[in-house]
Amino acid sequence: MAAPMELSCWGGDWGLPSLHPESLTVMAYAKFSGAPLAVNTITNFWRAPKGDVPVLVSEDIVISQPAKILNFLRKQKYNADYELSAKQGADTLAYIALLEEKLLPALLHTFWVEAENYCSVTKPWFASRIAFPLSLYLPGKMSREALNRILLTRGGPPLYSLTEVEAQIYRDAKECLNLLSKRLGTSQFFFGHTPTTLDAFVFGFLAPIYKVCFPRVQLQEHLKQLPNLCRFCDNILACYFRLTVSGHSPAGQDTADANLQKLTQLVNKESNLIEKMDDNLRKSPQHPPRKLTTLKLAAGGEGSPLNRLSP
Amino acid sequence: ATLCFQAFLQMCNLPIRVVCRANAEYMSPSGKLPFIHVGNQVVSELGPIVQFVKAKGHSLSDGLDEVQKAEMKAYMELVNNMLLTAELYLQWCDDVTVEEITHPRYGSPYPWPLNRILSYQKQWEVRRKMKAIGWAGKTLEQVLEDVDQCCQALSQRLGTQPYFFNKQPTELDALVFGHLFTILTTQLITDELSEKVKNYSNLTAFCRRIEQQYFEGHDKDSSTSGAARSAKRSLLR
Repeated sequence: MAAPMELSCWGGDWGLPSLHPESLTVMAYAKFSGAPLAVNTITNFWRAPKGDVPVLVSEDIVISQPAKILNFLRKQKYNADYELSAKQGADTLAYIALLEEKLLPALLHTFWVEAENYCSVTKPWFASRIAFPLSLYLPGKMSREALNRILLTRGGPPLYSLTEVEAQIYRDAKECLNLLSKRLGTSQFFFGHTPTTLDAFVFGFLAPIYKVCFPRVQLQEHLKQLPNLCRFCDNILACYFRLTVSGHSPAGQDTADANLQKLTQLVNKESNLIEKMDDNLRKSPQHPPRKLTTLKLAAGGEGSPLNRLSP
Repeated sequence: ATLCFQAFLQMCNLPIRVVCRANAEYMSPSGKLPFIHVGNQVVSELGPIVQFVKAKGHSLSDGLDEVQKAEMKAYMELVNNMLLTAELYLQWCDDVTVEEITHPRYGSPYPWPLNRILSYQKQWEVRRKMKAIGWAGKTLEQVLEDVDQCCQALSQRLGTQPYFFNKQPTELDALVFGHLFTILTTQLITDELSEKVKNYSNLTAFCRRIEQQYFEGHDKDSSTSGAARSAKRSLLR
């Protein structure tokens, strides 16, 4: 048929195909509906068509927001909501609104505003995928935009300080997770046995919270107390993205930690050995002509600690 | 928005008196209107008022199970997200409406030049917010399309039932009534917004039903303000 559609989006890590919630939503929907998408992860930001990510390019058409991209895919007959009733379609819109109002502010905060998370994880990760010199400017800009959005939409009075706003958005996000968990119950997907648009959006928002290893993880800890949502994410990753869960956290994290421990032990042993050798060298005199005496003294030096030890 | 509260409180069978004040925004604890004044307490915004009323022993959503409560909250967010934002967009970002209706109305209690300054300030604030959530790039047609989508979802959810959750009204019914009634009865430059709502006959029937059930009876007690009476007149016209 026509040339395949190309999606440009942020790449992935920690077992996810992408770290960016919107990119992940579009990728998940494409998998669910069987749309043939060639996914390009952005490594050179200058080449991204408009700077809005994710971006779908099909022949000459360029589309940039997830809702519009999904609409376009539906018009191309890649429709994951084919079997939904009218009421279920309405429920989809309502739950997506819930996600955007209640969960997105906390997600943005965890990634872009929380200082420890931003400095140790988000900024280095994004900076490594953007070409210099944009890598110095763009992560900061994304962080400022996230903070702006949070303050403008949730920061009105009586919440006057950032800490109060933060407390409120995390409360709302935890409530939203609880509601999603109750709605999902024990089913595999939100509407029966096949995944739909709502599953794509929920997956897009939940998976980064679930998988990315941040220093400050209150939202992740809350999510891990809702096993049906964790199972939901793992299912989709295993079935649609062919990334095995076992290769990555938490088992992966454990093996990484064990390896790190072993490495540290080896390094410690080596440094002990080096110190010992240093001690020996210092005790023995340094002048070359006294080679023989040096050796004797070294032997003596080695011997003397032993002598000292024995009573 | 006032109507959402009036509807909600009347659904709970709690008597209220509506008072209009020019400095109402400053009296409210959160800066947002409307707010209720009960004894020593002042509570504003729908969420806290619902919880306050619940704490006093009146609740409309007790009969719902967990999944239904989740659905109710989701639909309330949809209404806030789409309808409220669309109303704000129309009031403050559509140039024609701003010039002819919003600026005069917002600035009316104040003398010149304060009326112009305050309304420009508010307009700037609203436009900043629209930009942050990505609505600044939308045209009026796109906004109307979003409203249509939202109304379609509400209409499909309501179906042929009298209220959104069976036979008992809940906070969602109050919220939807407040917004739709305002859209249907407020005079704007064009009627496109109200036409979008009128396309869905079960939504207009829903509004009429709630109005008759909860506002007409209240009228007879003659303890309601002129606002509800004049609003009633314009819907039945």
